[in-house]
Amino acid sequence: MTDVVTPSEHLPPPQNTWGEWIWKSFFGSVSNTLFTLAFGAFVVWVLSSVAGWMVLDAVWRVEDRDLCGHGAGACWAVIEDRWRLIFFGLYPYEEQWRSSIACLALALTIVLSCVPKFWSVRRLPVLWLAGFSVFVALMRGGFAELTLVTTEQWGGLSLTLFIFASVFLIGMPLAVVFALARRSSFPVIAKGMGVFIDVVRSLPLLAILFSAAVVIPILVPDWLQSSKLARVIVAFAVFFAAYQAEIIRAGLQSLSEGQEEAALSLGMPYWSVILDILMPQAFRNTLPSTINQAVITFKETSIVTVIGFFEIMASGRAVIGTDEWGAQFVEIYVFLGLVYFVFVFGLSRYGAWLEKRMRVGHG
Amino acid sequence: MAEAAIVAQGLQKHYGAYHALRDINLSIEAGETVVVCGPSGSGKSTLIRCMNGLEAFSEGQLNVLEYEVGDDLAQLSAIRKRVGMVFQHFNLFPHMTILENCVLPQVRSLGRGREEATEKARQQLARMKIDMHAEKFPDQISGGQKQRVALARSLCLDPEVMLFDEPTSALDPEMIAEVLDVMRDLAREDMTIVCVTHEMGFAKAVADRVVFMAEGQIIEVAPPETIFTAAKSQIARDFFSSVQS
Repeated sequence: MTDVVTPSEHLPPPQNTWGEWIWKSFFGSVSNTLFTLAFGAFVVWVLSSVAGWMVLDAVWRVEDRDLCGHGAGACWAVIEDRWRLIFFGLYPYEEQWRSSIACLALALTIVLSCVPKFWSVRRLPVLWLAGFSVFVALMRGGFAELTLVTTEQWGGLSLTLFIFASVFLIGMPLAVVFALARRSSFPVIAKGMGVFIDVVRSLPLLAILFSAAVVIPILVPDWLQSSKLARVIVAFAVFFAAYQAEIIRAGLQSLSEGQEEAALSLGMPYWSVILDILMPQAFRNTLPSTINQAVITFKETSIVTVIGFFEIMASGRAVIGTDEWGAQFVEIYVFLGLVYFVFVFGLSRYGAWLEKRMRVGHG
Repeated sequence: MAEAAIVAQGLQKHYGAYHALRDINLSIEAGETVVVCGPSGSGKSTLIRCMNGLEAFSEGQLNVLEYEVGDDLAQLSAIRKRVGMVFQHFNLFPHMTILENCVLPQVRSLGRGREEATEKARQQLARMKIDMHAEKFPDQISGGQKQRVALARSLCLDPEVMLFDEPTSALDPEMIAEVLDVMRDLAREDMTIVCVTHEMGFAKAVADRVVFMAEGQIIEVAPPETIFTAAKSQIARDFFSSVQS
């Protein structure tokens, strides 16, 4: 070993062009070339068979349905024939225009509330109140010329979106309250909340929803009876809040104590310290986990089928439950997968954009 | 004699078995500038943090302006609206611009209108010579600049008393002067200032009195020229000779 360091000339690293880089990485040696060719062939084969099945050899029209299953590709005729069942579930056929407008209104509400321009204490509640009122009024009807459609008949994509949006909307403020209660300086409240959260998290979602749907009506007096859908949504929201509260608590713990002290020493009232100073930072620091939780919740909405609601997953399964289209289960699941993908992928990209905007990781 | 802004009588503070403040008696007049110093762990930060209720004490009485510090939240909030505090680690709100850092507390604490608050904020930022960074976020400016923003943020509330908890200890050496300069200007006004610091030059220049603390006790209180050259206790003489070298 020697301590002498020979001074070396500092040349800038050689600049590779894209072409050079690709050539070197993929065809730099014999083994690289072989692997590139083999893997390339495999990718081409996979892509061409998927494209062939999904597009080129697919049967699109109901008139051609006899071709289905005879060596042809996907049988999308099933979607053309039954898309209304998938999207609207058991909702009465003649009234399905109401369900589609309601669904659009709710989707619009969700999209708009993602736009920073609407993030104010006045605008957001107005937007949500309007969005949900339009949705419920149209779906339920029972006034003017609109016939009454009870929540038991709601279904399909409208129901999925409605459950997700309501769970998120009720669950999020609840989660903030849970998180604050768990940090309370009163030991009874803090410990009690801790036990409550742990109990809710220890129970399967299915058990909680089932109790809300079936057990509660037996226990509560008649005048307290509510619709099954409302009970299920509230129970789901509590379940969501238990998880989200821990995410928020983690976010609060990530903040230095100085933040709260500075706000307090400036004479700011408690609600303002929480809402203006601590929560925005806690949410910013835990945005990836929050988006994660939202995505999981969106996909978990399909669990309500078990207690008799025909959201989009159950409606899709109802299509393959018939003899007529029983063979097309792959097509139905691929289609449902695509619908979920549109929403969840959108949610994830929105999260990524939000992170950038909020400058997560820049202190 | 001017009236007292802060009066502590027989203040005691325990952290479990640890005795953090021992029988603190101190009276600070309105308009006075007092520097609190002492070795680390001497309780100086604890004392200053008691003065706006960030820290609770176990026994004794503490009056700030016409209020009593204690469990009464209304009194605490009244104190905090008239007593500003600057921290070692600045504690700016990282999710807001410099300007919004100064505007929001005025709106929330004093109920000022946004327009008036914004004007006030720009005025104070200009006074701290930091108005050109008003639209930036805290992580885009230097430590010295952050501390001047923190000061401007406090001054926006027109406090009568300012508490400084080691305001230059987290700064790089070349930035200490810019913060001390603005504090010096402040001390010459009729603001009441209590400052925990090791900057003896600052103490010499502006302090009316220096409070020397050790092990939770006030050992000596004297004007800076007296205490630096002729402290009565050995522990104070040792301390000052070590920080002044």
